[in-house]
Amino acid sequence: MSTLIVVDQAPYGSWTGREALDMTLSLAAFDQPAALLFTGAGVNWLRTGQAPEHVGQKSAEKNLSAAPIFGVEELLACSESCQRYGLDDANMIGGINQVASTAETMNRYHQVVFAG
Amino acid sequence: MPTTLSYTLVITGAPWASQAPQTALNVAQELINANHRIDRVFLYGEGIHLASALSTPPSDEKHWPRAWSEFLTEHSIPAVACVASALRRGLVDEAEQARYELPASNLRAPFEIAGLGEWVEGSIQSDRVLYFHGSA
Repeated sequence: MSTLIVVDQAPYGSWTGREALDMTLSLAAFDQPAALLFTGAGVNWLRTGQAPEHVGQKSAEKNLSAAPIFGVEELLACSESCQRYGLDDANMIGGINQVASTAETMNRYHQVVFAG
Repeated sequence: MPTTLSYTLVITGAPWASQAPQTALNVAQELINANHRIDRVFLYGEGIHLASALSTPPSDEKHWPRAWSEFLTEHSIPAVACVASALRRGLVDEAEQARYELPASNLRAPFEIAGLGEWVEGSIQSDRVLYFHGSA
């Protein structure tokens, strides 16, 4: 059973993305295939040089870079959203696969979970 | 003979902040009426507020935590609030109260507090997993 977790909100403004990341890590911890898809404003999770200590939060960037170590299979990003928010290889964390069609991507998984 | 399916329901929207618990309860009742099975209800994020024993709405308003409790008890459906979500938001059972030396506990029966593993298990075992989110 493979699961795709979709994050469509920017980090720090709400807690849903962080809790979605926890869900993904939990699936991986139980050896269930899991991947993350960032789309819309959610692609801002992938920006390098985040400084959330000024708003009293932990770095989403740091949390996310641990995902492959914990066994999360893929980190995916909607290419159109990346373009809209000015994200490219120069200012994105490494190891992200950009996808042209989020619909096609979702179809590859048994379950799709949107961050609350 | 109609097909019977098993369901896990995940609620991430809080009562009085979203419609999620009400919608989930209506769906749950219809699932039971249609002879489907609900394996488990999992509260996550803001959804954990549904399990508070201290919610006290005005008497002429529907009491969603009580309505859910009664439904869960009547149909013997296990319901779990995610421990990480619950502790952050001030929902604790007696064990967590003792562990963190807190002045009170406030978990409504028959809800229990457990980890995300319960959700993972539900995702694997149930035929369908339905999510009830609050507004983004």
